[in-house]
Amino acid sequence: MELKNKLKAYRLSEEEYKKISNLLGRAPKGVEWALFSALWSEHCSYKSSKVHLKKLFKQSPRVVVAFGENAGVVDLGQGERVAFKMESHNHPSFIEPYQGAATGVGGILRDIFTMGARPVALANYLCFGPTDSDRMPYLIDGVVSGISGYGNCVGVPTITGQTEFHRSYKNNILVNALAVGLFEEGDRVFLSKAEGQGNHIVYVGAKTGRDGVHGASMASESFDEDSESKRPTIQIGDPFFEKLLIESCIDVMKQDLVVAIQDMGAAGLISSSFEMASKGGVGFDIWLDQVPLRDTSITPEEILLSESQERMLLVCEPEKLEALQSVFHRWGLDATVIGEITTRKKIRLFWHDELLTDIDPDLLVEEAPEHTRPFEPWQPAHRVDTVREIGLKIKKASETLNGILTSQQGKSRAWVFRQYDQRVGANTVYDCEVGIGAIRLPRTNRALGLALGCRPQVMRFDAAEGAKDAVFLPALELAAKGFEPIAVTDCLNFGNPERLEIMSEFVATTRNVSLACESLVTPIISGNVSLYNETDGENITSTPSIGMIGLRSHLEKLPKEHFTEEKQKIYLVRSVQLTTGGQLQEDQDETTYGTGQIVPTKAAEFVNSILYIANGAGVTSSKVVGKYGLAYALARMCKGDIGCEVYVVGKNLALAKDEDLFLEHFYEVLFVVEQKHSGDFELRLKQKKLDFFMIGQTIKNEFKIDRSIQMKLKNLSEAYESPFVEDAK
Amino acid sequence: MNKVGVLRFPGTNCDRDIWQAVETVKAKPEWLWHTDRFGWKDYKALVIPGGFSYGDYLRTGALAAMSPVMKSLKEAIDHGVPVIGICNGFQILCEARILPGALLRNEKLKFQDKWVQVKVENNKIPWSANFEKNRKVRLPIAHGDGRYYADSETLKKIEDRGQVWCRYLDNPNGSLNDIAGVVNDKGNVVALMPHPERAIFDWMGSNDGIGFFNWL
Repeated sequence: MELKNKLKAYRLSEEEYKKISNLLGRAPKGVEWALFSALWSEHCSYKSSKVHLKKLFKQSPRVVVAFGENAGVVDLGQGERVAFKMESHNHPSFIEPYQGAATGVGGILRDIFTMGARPVALANYLCFGPTDSDRMPYLIDGVVSGISGYGNCVGVPTITGQTEFHRSYKNNILVNALAVGLFEEGDRVFLSKAEGQGNHIVYVGAKTGRDGVHGASMASESFDEDSESKRPTIQIGDPFFEKLLIESCIDVMKQDLVVAIQDMGAAGLISSSFEMASKGGVGFDIWLDQVPLRDTSITPEEILLSESQERMLLVCEPEKLEALQSVFHRWGLDATVIGEITTRKKIRLFWHDELLTDIDPDLLVEEAPEHTRPFEPWQPAHRVDTVREIGLKIKKASETLNGILTSQQGKSRAWVFRQYDQRVGANTVYDCEVGIGAIRLPRTNRALGLALGCRPQVMRFDAAEGAKDAVFLPALELAAKGFEPIAVTDCLNFGNPERLEIMSEFVATTRNVSLACESLVTPIISGNVSLYNETDGENITSTPSIGMIGLRSHLEKLPKEHFTEEKQKIYLVRSVQLTTGGQLQEDQDETTYGTGQIVPTKAAEFVNSILYIANGAGVTSSKVVGKYGLAYALARMCKGDIGCEVYVVGKNLALAKDEDLFLEHFYEVLFVVEQKHSGDFELRLKQKKLDFFMIGQTIKNEFKIDRSIQMKLKNLSEAYESPFVEDAK
Repeated sequence: MNKVGVLRFPGTNCDRDIWQAVETVKAKPEWLWHTDRFGWKDYKALVIPGGFSYGDYLRTGALAAMSPVMKSLKEAIDHGVPVIGICNGFQILCEARILPGALLRNEKLKFQDKWVQVKVENNKIPWSANFEKNRKVRLPIAHGDGRYYADSETLKKIEDRGQVWCRYLDNPNGSLNDIAGVVNDKGNVVALMPHPERAIFDWMGSNDGIGFFNWL
């Protein structure tokens, strides 16, 4: 009985206990329980997902580091390299939204500057329940304030984001944060591999407290009615401290004072030290009594498990210690030696004179369990044979559009992104008003684009299609603005993997994300998996959020997101492979039907053609048609006093009915082109053998689609800009 | 001599942005750390960039106003060296009582990042000498505490003496009299909440901001 309780307390299974006893040749004792609990947690070990993650597409000549380190790194050529990664902070954010979201931003930033790159951009992907559900306005406000409070203070611009709503997130919101860092020419890429017998292990940053103890294993569990009581496992962030850490760490790395570096994230000191030692094939002696503490009553086990924020572990040669300490001192930080590297591949943990454990780090890192959980082959879902059978119901198109624009799912996200500093760093090219974010690469005056993907509604329609779309949609958004897609990071948010249907979606998702990435040659170089997003037996929509970077060779004639001037021509360019009733049908009937499927090679070819088109002369703006279809996309392109007049019926578009204005065709892209360049533009479209239509032109003050929709721009923007959550509060 | 001193406190985060703006107009930026003392004769101008100095704990700008480098800054001001404070720099200058008034939490209590139109009303000072009077410029704001406040007597005084430097056309934060920037009575210290350094190239969305720097 006592064993059973202990296993429960440390969240280990009986099977795992047997494996531990076999590895050790005896039962675990003392702090070893905590070590195994943390490092064998789903969060740290990826035990349910590893088998499938190994198969992800991760190669291209640009890849410098893919997985295995704090972040992936790609080479953009001309001396420019970037590190980037996306990570989830779902569980903490649901329990305490402000700190959960803030420390999510802090954690992903540390992953980036740990590699030696200066963080230059942030993005976030958020999923909430309906705004009228319990605690939701509080959660939305808390998460947005948390991201804003942290990101703005550390001085890294938030350049793009996505906010989704669905009842499956009602009791399990998603907060995924992405960060990008830039290496200057000649900067070394720092790895976490510890080396050099006799080298110091140095602790830098905030003092250790009790916050976040057992955070990693908490994040690996489903929620139940006790979740509120998990508040003590939430970490507290201090963005000011993080800013000092960023500057000082970049400083010591530039001065070559560091051998290896790792941030203390999930499972704190344990995971950082064991991973560093295991990777380097060396041993550590760590004197836990030397760890700077906030409170002297903390036990050694708590020190090991604490997830106090803004802490780094680094390896430093003894002769460089003084120089290293003086850099940190200048920034008001202490750097404390807490251990040293030994040659025998063992980690010895000391508490004053007592030896707490003497253990091979590989047992915890390399020998962590790997499960092949049961799954079934994927079967296409919710299909009909023809577009007409989809059965989207529209009474009056203008009322439908107005309803979409004022709905939670359809309205402007300005309330969210205005709270983020989008321009600190003075390199922002595209801010959150635009479908993709972009920053200038200062050395070469090129632009780095960043787009997010994954539409939960498409995942609910069919996970295989949703997974492909999660990659192709951001790729198209980048291409439509003249950016070549380069590489991908992902955050796989799923429910309980022990359930057959969830695991089957997980497998179908990773396979299709990978296929899509392969067809685009955009390797997946980093990411994370968040499982057990389940509350009281209810699972979230499987949500593989994607962050994709792209590269544009210059900053001239950047296509805008909105109409800019009247009397310009509007083109619709298409390659329709799948058509669904989309978000509107789900809003109406709680389900979606569709016909066709996304063919990766075809979709990738379309992306490349769009890239070619977008870089042609005369393109003033562009937009990928997404959720809610054509009418909504056009409505969102209106700005100021510039609207449009679109003739759909009677042109070759074969759109005969109002419902066609709201169907979602995968894929369609809108381009706005200056009159004088339209001949050239059409020539380029024909060269690429693209299916296209000139559907109308920009005009002043009005929004008109044939005889179906007619709105004054003033009314349109009032609808779209209607209050976000303030009303719901 | 066109050396421009850029003050840096722990938590300053627009320092590199100012560096870029100063270099763009071919002047020579130089860091001044919060613990430094410096000689005023060495600098053509001084900039206090935006950010969250000392985490903006206590009150925005309150701790920075007490830092050692401010002693040298005050000497420089007394000798007429032109100084500009941007965003947190504005807050610091008010906290240090170098400029009149204070900056309070935005009216809607939220951080606001957006583009605004600002009218530059005083062009008799170096930082806006390039603009014709009442020139409208498009600049971004990004702040949580930008609501300009002063008691009615002070407000009247600065209005009468032409110390209101810039005014919002569409007040984003509840500032009294739409005030976006002010100048000291001697005319050598100015500050504003919007960020001219984030509007110096077309690709940023506007290049109006370069006009504040190209006299350097």
